[in-house]
Amino acid sequence: MNATQWGGMSAIFLASAVEWVEAFTIVLAVALTIGWKRAASAALAALGVVSVLVAVTGAGLSIVQTDINRIRAAIGVFLLLFGLRWYVKAIRRYAGRTALHDEAREFSETREHLAHAETRGAWLVAFKGVLLEGLEVWLLVVALGHALSYVQASGSALAALFAVTGAGLMLRAPLTRVPENTLKFTVACALLAFGSFWSLGGLLGERAIWPLGDATLLLLVAAYAAGGRLIAIRLRLPAAAVANGGGA
Amino acid sequence: MKKLLRLIFGDIRNIISVGAAIALAYAVQRWAPDAAGWALVAALLAAGFWQAAG
Repeated sequence: MNATQWGGMSAIFLASAVEWVEAFTIVLAVALTIGWKRAASAALAALGVVSVLVAVTGAGLSIVQTDINRIRAAIGVFLLLFGLRWYVKAIRRYAGRTALHDEAREFSETREHLAHAETRGAWLVAFKGVLLEGLEVWLLVVALGHALSYVQASGSALAALFAVTGAGLMLRAPLTRVPENTLKFTVACALLAFGSFWSLGGLLGERAIWPLGDATLLLLVAAYAAGGRLIAIRLRLPAAAVANGGGA
Repeated sequence: MKKLLRLIFGDIRNIISVGAAIALAYAVQRWAPDAAGWALVAALLAAGFWQAAG
């Protein structure tokens, strides 16, 4: 396995872990309302849908016979769109312009929301929560899996699921100590690096644009990480403004 | 469906940012192929600043 594959797998693992942490918080809140058995059935049903989507799109894309450069360009553009969204979110949180994602608050809000919900309603909350987070994992597995390997991509997402679920079940509490914004920022830098490398490489020829080859990926990650931290410092709001709930 | 599209593409500013960055890199490539990749990076960093500041 080469460095690009390790990089891709790590990005999927970390991105999936972030999504699964959010999904676990919802499932935990639902489990304490309607019981573990029902909450787990909702989570498994949603994961089943995500697995089917991964299998169907994976099989569908492998049938498509087209120039590898076109596929890489399309995947690269998708990764840029997806990565830039996460990048901006993480920078805004570093800068204090958006509140940090708080799993404990999310947990208590979901519990409050479920207080008067019927069993079916609570089941749906868990199902939709896991499905929504799982869809983001699906998009990444399909995008990076096509360029790397579906087995490696889905294996990384699955490993993250087991790690998060295992930790969550041991604690029986929301995973509040996961440095979510740092993970999100790191993943965003990796996605932008892969996206830049593949989009332009696919459109204009990899050797012409990136003469250093795969080693460029490390430089790209470093450039986006340094740039992002500098932007966050430049946009940082004064402490008083943060205490009042941040900016826009 | 709308939620899924938003999940994939983000909002209109995100689409404009990525589209403009690729267009810029494409234009730069015609005059200086070696600089096209880093032009894309610079444009995306500028887009990140623009979106985060907004």
